[in-house]
Amino acid sequence: MGKYLASMQHTSKPRRRGRGSSRLSSLRLASGIFIAAFLLSLSASAEDPKPKPENTIVVQIGDPVPVPKLAGSPKFWIADVIDRSANPQPELVMKARGGIFLDRQPAVIVRQALEQSLKASNLLAADANSADLIVKIYVFQFGLAQGSGLDFFGKVEFAAMVKNPKSGESVEVKAAGTSIAKAAAWKKNIEKNVQEDIEVSLRDALRNFLRGQQLKDAVGDLTKDSAAAPAAAPNP
Amino acid sequence: MRIKIYLALVALLLACATGAAGKDKVPRYKTVEAKHFTQAEGVELDPTFGDYFYAELREELKKAKLANDVIGEGETVDDADAPQSIVISGAFTEYNKGSVVKSALIGFGAGFRSLKMDANVQRRSDKQNLSAIHVHVRLDPRWKPAVMAKSAARQLVKELKDEMKKSE
Repeated sequence: MGKYLASMQHTSKPRRRGRGSSRLSSLRLASGIFIAAFLLSLSASAEDPKPKPENTIVVQIGDPVPVPKLAGSPKFWIADVIDRSANPQPELVMKARGGIFLDRQPAVIVRQALEQSLKASNLLAADANSADLIVKIYVFQFGLAQGSGLDFFGKVEFAAMVKNPKSGESVEVKAAGTSIAKAAAWKKNIEKNVQEDIEVSLRDALRNFLRGQQLKDAVGDLTKDSAAAPAAAPNP
Repeated sequence: MRIKIYLALVALLLACATGAAGKDKVPRYKTVEAKHFTQAEGVELDPTFGDYFYAELREELKKAKLANDVIGEGETVDDADAPQSIVISGAFTEYNKGSVVKSALIGFGAGFRSLKMDANVQRRSDKQNLSAIHVHVRLDPRWKPAVMAKSAARQLVKELKDEMKKSE
């Protein structure tokens, strides 16, 4: 009997240990699941910011960019603005800190800014039929680019296909604008700096396009024939 | 005693105001154009590095107030302003990405990233070379290369400013 009891005691010890360890392991498992779920929810909220009025910025260029005198003062028509940035969320400028969103699509912002500047210089045609040159814009980058991390690096880059609808000839003109803005700690200041950064880089890109030597040369080449035709008409 | 303190404060404010007024000089040039720097053979820098350096260079030029206007690459300038306009171009001639291990084990600047560049400053109207600047920047390899672009742009503009002061 004694032997039996001794063997029971001997065998019962590991059983007790097993129950305890199973409780411990289940506790560990539960806490692990809880922590993982918490971290997942945190990362999910950090990864997918949603556009709200408080994290949406309105990008405007302010005063229109003055266009220098172009050969023959042709009238432009913006036919199409296509986003070629391959960005699945073109309105999302920054993911961190709850995200920063643009109020409109980059293509819309670029179109409006271009039309505003051309209209102010009296170079915007009323419609496509009355235009001397048709412009098709391909936006490659709009927003923040990879910088040092110590500041915000704004970059706007696009290419324009300027086409003479009469001759069918077209010339590509590239434009880019950059800007560096200070980093900030507060969300409000981050939004303000990012907005300013994108506005400056957009204005810079527009200026680079409208006041660039490339556009001047392209207009000169494309309107060469139309400028020569009226001059040649009186002398048959 | 209070009157003395007030007088001292007024004198200090006046000194600051005159100092600030003295600093507001008229820029020497009408426009300055920064071009994208090219990469010499064998230099393996990220393509985004060139863009970031270009942006930083333009920002530093704006801060330095060397010219009334810092224009973008390829922008037109009025013929009248061309003699008082400059163009900055250049190339990254040497880049060593450094070693974190060497930097951590040896220290004292061993294993640092290193970037060398040459810049030329030309007058826009007659393409005359106004100055040639050589810049060498070293940085801890744990920092991003873009940080090096920042300090390189700062150093380049500082040296350009010094050269302009000497030529005055």
